[in-house]
Amino acid sequence: MTKVYKDLRDFLATLEEEGQLVRIKEEVMPEPDIGAAGRAAANIENSPAILFEKVNGYNYSLVTNVHGSWRNHALMLGLPKDTTIKEQFFELNRRWDKFPVPPKILAREEALCKENVITENINLFDILPLYRINEQDGGFFLSKASVISGDPEFPEDLNKLNVGIYRIQVKDVDRLAIQPMPVHDIAIQLAKAEEKDEPLPVAIALGVSPLVTFMASTPVAYDQNEYEFVGALQDGVPCEIVKADTCDHLYVPAHAEVIIEGYIIPRKRFVEGAFGEFPGSYSGCRKQCEIQITRITHRTKPIFENLYIGMPWTETDYLVGLNTSIPLYKQIKATMPEVVAVNAMYTHGIGVIISTKVRYGGYGKGVAFRLLSTPHGMPYSKIVIIVDEYVDPFNLEQVMWALTTRVKPSKDVVIIPNCSGMVLDPSSNPAGMHDKLIIDATTPVAPEPNPRSCEMLVPSPATPKWEEILRQLQHAAQKK
Amino acid sequence: MKCPRCDSEKVRIMTKSPVGDAWEIYVCDHCCYSWRSTENIQISEIFKLNDEKIANMGIIPPIPPLKK
Ligand SMILES: [Zn+2]
Repeated sequence: MTKVYKDLRDFLATLEEEGQLVRIKEEVMPEPDIGAAGRAAANIENSPAILFEKVNGYNYSLVTNVHGSWRNHALMLGLPKDTTIKEQFFELNRRWDKFPVPPKILAREEALCKENVITENINLFDILPLYRINEQDGGFFLSKASVISGDPEFPEDLNKLNVGIYRIQVKDVDRLAIQPMPVHDIAIQLAKAEEKDEPLPVAIALGVSPLVTFMASTPVAYDQNEYEFVGALQDGVPCEIVKADTCDHLYVPAHAEVIIEGYIIPRKRFVEGAFGEFPGSYSGCRKQCEIQITRITHRTKPIFENLYIGMPWTETDYLVGLNTSIPLYKQIKATMPEVVAVNAMYTHGIGVIISTKVRYGGYGKGVAFRLLSTPHGMPYSKIVIIVDEYVDPFNLEQVMWALTTRVKPSKDVVIIPNCSGMVLDPSSNPAGMHDKLIIDATTPVAPEPNPRSCEMLVPSPATPKWEEILRQLQHAAQKK
Repeated sequence: MKCPRCDSEKVRIMTKSPVGDAWEIYVCDHCCYSWRSTENIQISEIFKLNDEKIANMGIIPPIPPLKK
């Protein structure tokens, strides 16, 4: 049985047992301590989650960097913490195919998120230790909140329920700004409400079980329910949800630390930002929607979960890395079964490494063309590296080996000018147009000549056995 | 008190620390900037706002026409 976490607290307990959560017991200042610690965690390897037990002036504790290392990512999946990225990729890929797993709808009294209710004198600062993440941010942001919204045209259709992570700025004690980009699912729902001048009900969940956050940051099709994906990624164990208190067609994670309920005010926009974003630069001020909060429910002594965002790699990159890679892998693999694995983890798939068996001469470039004609790859992917099937595309040392020993630049490096590009890539000019770079680092196969073929070193069949012995000895040594 | 981002005087106390007299949060009702009394605020020139910048800001997402 795969280990499945009931809620955030259950996951934090596992992280702590595994040495992947540290507690800061001394009181810290909201600024600059929490943002700085988040950046610091991003800078170190195998970084733990950080639990701040006491924040100056506030009631409750705060946790950050919960998803912020491959170890924590493996533990999220219920795998041993030293599981390689490639192994995590294949495990996720296997569970992906279990979609859909219907969620389990709990009665209100079974849902821990309903332990406390606030309907009057709502003040977010009473519940959440809010802080400025990056110095030039225009205020205090919720960077890891799952926003739940429905389709006003088909409120009963749970498949059109959307759970997504959007950046949220605290505008007042009971007001939030939200950024639905026109491509986001929630923007489709908002447009339908605004055409009729109606508010769009929303619920915002903070501090949820780790795979809910993971799925909320995965772009799935409009009529695919994220909760059914959570059940799939929990290896068939349904996600537990409960009806929101203020809206009959919204369902929220049952054991979230905090649920904020309210509505998007229709047809009004207010200044939002600036905010430090995932490419490592700020996105400036724009006029955006606001949410009026009408109700908060929360667990007793709620833990506020938030993340640091900035120049990669940060927790954000761990959250979107493999869930960008797997849909691309499935699309390419459908017509090119020789493809072994796809690593699309670099800046949301702008950089991609694919390992493939080469069926005939020129096949490597063909795989690159296939990537560049997928819905995500066409606009996003700009730098594509193709390596042989025995090269692990998640192991950058191996990829560099392939580049340094397999590539003849005059024939293997190709630039295709004036293609579709990613708007947020600052080097795309005009925004939305870009060149594509393909580096074919596979070994030539007939009919392509290979005039200096080489004899590969073959590792002894006893190597895996020795890997296991060394790993266990090292593990034992660390425990002393 | 003036807003450190747009120099407006339309600044008010949003809230005070729930525990002790640790700090206050201020918000500018003109440009929506908010900050804590314990912060050392230094806003880069590029992020300063004025009426012209606010008037010309992009709107996300666009407001659709009303359907009858
Ligand atoms: Zn101002």
